[in-house]
Amino acid sequence: MTDTRALKADIAGDADAPPRNPWRRLEPAAYGCASIVAVLVLWEVLPWIFTLSAGTKLFFTTPSQIGGTLWKMFATGSIWTPLAVSATGFAVGLGLAIVVGLPLGVLIGRSRTLNAMLDPFITAFNATPRLVFLPLVMLWFGLGLWSKVVIVFIGALFPLLINTYEGVRNADKTLINVVRSFGASEWDVARLVVIPNSMPYIIAGLRLAIGRAVLGVVVAEFFGAESGLGVMMVQAAGRYQVDVVFSGLIVFAAVSLLMTAMVQVLENRLSLWRPQQAGGE
Amino acid sequence: MTEQAVPQQGFLERHRKVLLGALAVAIFFAAWQAVFLVVPFNPLFISKPNLILGSFYTLLIDGDLLRDLAISAVPFVYGFGAATVVGVTIGVVMGWRQRVGYALDPLMTIFYASPLVALAPLVIVFFGVGVSGKAILIFLLSVFPFIFNAQAGVRAVDRLLINVVRSLGGGERDLYLKVIVPSVLPYIVAGARIAVGRGLIGILVGEFFAASEGIGYAIARFGDLFALDKMFACILCIMIIAVVMTEGIRWAERAAFPWRVGQ
Repeated sequence: MTDTRALKADIAGDADAPPRNPWRRLEPAAYGCASIVAVLVLWEVLPWIFTLSAGTKLFFTTPSQIGGTLWKMFATGSIWTPLAVSATGFAVGLGLAIVVGLPLGVLIGRSRTLNAMLDPFITAFNATPRLVFLPLVMLWFGLGLWSKVVIVFIGALFPLLINTYEGVRNADKTLINVVRSFGASEWDVARLVVIPNSMPYIIAGLRLAIGRAVLGVVVAEFFGAESGLGVMMVQAAGRYQVDVVFSGLIVFAAVSLLMTAMVQVLENRLSLWRPQQAGGE
Repeated sequence: MTEQAVPQQGFLERHRKVLLGALAVAIFFAAWQAVFLVVPFNPLFISKPNLILGSFYTLLIDGDLLRDLAISAVPFVYGFGAATVVGVTIGVVMGWRQRVGYALDPLMTIFYASPLVALAPLVIVFFGVGVSGKAILIFLLSVFPFIFNAQAGVRAVDRLLINVVRSLGGGERDLYLKVIVPSVLPYIVAGARIAVGRGLIGILVGEFFAASEGIGYAIARFGDLFALDKMFACILCIMIIAVVMTEGIRWAERAAFPWRVGQ
């Protein structure tokens, strides 16, 4: 729905003719890598160019330090315990969101009455940053796993729900009528036409949901948890261990990117049967 | 006669969606209120709509709510304004200059994919709990939707129009002002809609962490005090603000760029 990346890919696809010159094909990757390297190098040499005051030095770290810290965390295995705690909250919350979001999305896509009745709630909860419920959720579920699960769940549910709904709504009416004419039940319509057709939308929703779920884990752990990667980062920030904060950020980003890449692979597998022109937004 | 009869008959049908929605909201609050006739009411754990409405009124009359909102609005305006200006500029250049796009795209994607909220403790420690810390947090969170949407918008610009302007002797400046800006604007507004939500997260994170005033602080404090009716009132207030802002932008999109409806 709000996934502009897909849109961009489409535009790039038809605008750029297949490049003949090998340099032209490598150009985007080369520029991309160069800019990342440039930023890292600049960051690394910054303290050599400017003499930092003692106060600033306290807040400053370099990529090499971050890399070293990250390496040490994995080498000593100290990262696994907090990572496992965070991953559990993430997985349970996202799993629940999928289990609830997909059927509910199909239902409100198929029933106009249900859609009209639930629409105000969906709009309200989708627009509101779920962080606002955190104090309440902590009051109800305590500092443990379940507060985190609830926050992740609320965050991930709505992109899934809304995208499933959009996908179901855009299912081909002719196909539905054909299947109906052959005596299919509502369940058959869902199974044969609606769900396969809404797959690209669901995948796009899943991609958004992963981002929001990771965000949910981070904020939930910042304010209402006893252990986990987010807790580690807050404590490190309090002790001015900036390298540890950045290491945590990198781990979160890596998990986020990895999950998104996995969803991409899933999407490619699931849409093999699809004719070329079809696809989600 | 029939011409008159048709719209009258259609009133229920035409406003069916709104009516059903209102009905559902009414049922929800009525059920919330009614459930405590059966279930014992524990004010430390949950609140009731009538109590929430009462404390909402009290907070509004005392001016507490408006003061907190005004305090939170200042960093939001700064952070969001800066994000708009910086994000659109970067995005337009990235979309227009292909090589700049190549160079910055992976970097920006990494930033966008990483939960930048995670930098909140650092930002707060570095810039303090005042306006600047919150504004920077809001900026960091809301700048990326602007960048990516502006870039996508520029890349979707009609090449034909560009060629026309060039053929008629238009310079780089004419291209930006006459072709690119008008066709990119809808994308930017769509980006603003996403960015608003992220900006609100920024305020809340900043104020939950370490603040002594503001709406986020009010929610956290009322939670700590077990003043659940007041906390619910503030939460509802945030929800209303979020819905009004998001739906307001959506409405503005429909009004200003009617050709994009359905996208």
